[in-house]
Amino acid sequence: MLLKLSFSSLYARLVTVGMTILAISVSLMLYMSVEKLRTSAYTSFTDTISQTDLIVGARASSVQLLLYSVFRIGNATNNITWESYLDLVSKEEVDWTVPISLGDSHKGFRVMGTNKEFFSRYKYRGSQSVSIDKGYLFEDLYDVVLGAGVAEKLGYKIGTSLVVSHGLQSFSDHDDQPFRVSGILKKTGTPVDNTVIVSLAAIEAIHVDWSTGAKIPGQLTPIDEIREMDLTPKNITAALVGVKSKLTIFQLQRWINEYPEEAMTAILPGAALQELWRVVGVIENLLLGISVVVIFTTLVGMAAIMFSSLSERRREMAIWRAMGASPFTVIGLLMLEAIFISILSITFSVVLLFCVLNLLQPWIDYNYGILVNIEMLAIKDMYVFAVFIIASIAVSLLPAIRAYWFSINDGMTIKL
Amino acid sequence: MRKNIYYSLLLSALVTVSVAEETRQVDKHEHGVGELNIAVEGNSIDLEFMIPGADIVGFEYKAKSEADVALVNDALIKFDEFNNIFSIPSASNCNLVEADISINQGENHKDEHDDHDEHDDHNEHDDHDEHDDHDEHDDHDEHEDEHDHDDHGEHDDHDEHDEEAHNEFVAHYSFNCGNIKEIDRISFPYFTTFPNSGELEVQFVSEIGSTSFEVEGDEPFIDLKGKI
Repeated sequence: MLLKLSFSSLYARLVTVGMTILAISVSLMLYMSVEKLRTSAYTSFTDTISQTDLIVGARASSVQLLLYSVFRIGNATNNITWESYLDLVSKEEVDWTVPISLGDSHKGFRVMGTNKEFFSRYKYRGSQSVSIDKGYLFEDLYDVVLGAGVAEKLGYKIGTSLVVSHGLQSFSDHDDQPFRVSGILKKTGTPVDNTVIVSLAAIEAIHVDWSTGAKIPGQLTPIDEIREMDLTPKNITAALVGVKSKLTIFQLQRWINEYPEEAMTAILPGAALQELWRVVGVIENLLLGISVVVIFTTLVGMAAIMFSSLSERRREMAIWRAMGASPFTVIGLLMLEAIFISILSITFSVVLLFCVLNLLQPWIDYNYGILVNIEMLAIKDMYVFAVFIIASIAVSLLPAIRAYWFSINDGMTIKL
Repeated sequence: MRKNIYYSLLLSALVTVSVAEETRQVDKHEHGVGELNIAVEGNSIDLEFMIPGADIVGFEYKAKSEADVALVNDALIKFDEFNNIFSIPSASNCNLVEADISINQGENHKDEHDDHDEHDDHNEHDDHDEHDDHDEHDDHDEHEDEHDHDDHGEHDDHDEHDEEAHNEFVAHYSFNCGNIKEIDRISFPYFTTFPNSGELEVQFVSEIGSTSFEVEGDEPFIDLKGKI
């Protein structure tokens, strides 16, 4: 009876109530999407590299080393010499290593020199490895393998020929030594998608006629001659390392960090990620805080609307009282109303959230490489909803008490 | 005249080369920040603490006076009993297999600190860490003061090195566990055992992956749920 009454009362004020519900839903959706983005960004970040025990590069902060070697963000402070790399490879703790060399680019995409072992050793999202979608891995010196994103955005196919530019933002191209696309990788959702991969020897080859960052004028070694040359790299940017036993990781890390011949840094990728996240976490919390404030604001808004509707509804309440409703029933009715509004808002916000996520997911993935996982609501969300309903009841208490006073004072006769 | 310039150029080049051949690197060292490495594999868990002396005994020079030696020995005894430092859930059924506690009085750093002037000359060097470290030394007036009281007027080179040596407590514990998956948290009475202690920077690795923590006295534990 009370339920039905409250519902019809709400229905009678469809427009006002509808707007309230819309405002609350949008703010709830804002909160939930911030939360979803936050967790998705975290997982897609931490899932980027797995099963690599150490990343070794020139002396740098661990976050910087992680960013340039794995995420291709920023630049290396220095390279490490091939001799030091060989020293590292010969350590007994080491199970496998994959050298990588960065520094050149193609149309804004980073070019990475590495060896074939990269494709079997680099793991992401637990134990998934990079696999070839079309074509094959590099066989020839001038073969290049493209990440899925590069191929898609530039419209390249197997056999397309391309020229690598020197450096990251430069106008000098290695146009004397064009490459040919030999393979395109499957989409991984990691920075590999946006990487152009060549062999280490190729990186060395395109720099044959270069000295200290510039082309030596007039010098052009014929390609046939380059193919005959010893193309062992002189230096690399970083190396991914796997150890035989986890118990020896820190021993190896210390050896690398204290390596006397060259200043190097070894990091545990997960540990560095966590360190980075502690910094990012501050901004995260800020975002979350803002959306909580937005929810609070809409709750206050709901109370305001209820207040303003009270004076319009004094006649309505007088009729309720005339029908035999006690002042407490009036309070109950208003609180029921608040519960209705919040439940409707929650339902609507969830619908809204899924619409927005489905709409934006491809765009976020394409532009930021973050795969927002659209899944059913978690228990945590239920807690939030419960808290929200309780809060809305608490907020509705104020107008309800006012209505109670009105109904006692006015009784059945209203002096408007 | 010209020749002389060439000679001196050549000479200076030679000198630079000979200097450059030495490797000068100093490990980072930060008061109030202890390091802890935890590695888990199979049934084994290894914990390795590296704590600056200041965090444990309040000074970092080589203990010479009786009182200082007593402080160091007392600290080492506390490290011997690992329950003073950390605790592992008993459900995991872990038994200590090996413990190795030592204090690194920094003898191996001596050489690096011998060439004081050299550091100052080579400001252009990239070894920023080194310089940072250096600045830190200067900040520690209180140590020098203490030192003054101890051995008045005896300020020969040697003492200075000890002062710079920055001793470090190194404790390594290996456990074998019956049920290693039960380790969901490790807490650190360390912070109450050594009131001078600052934070602990923890690196953690297991077959699942690696992560890191920053632990401080107000929340003296790490949460390892789902990480082993």
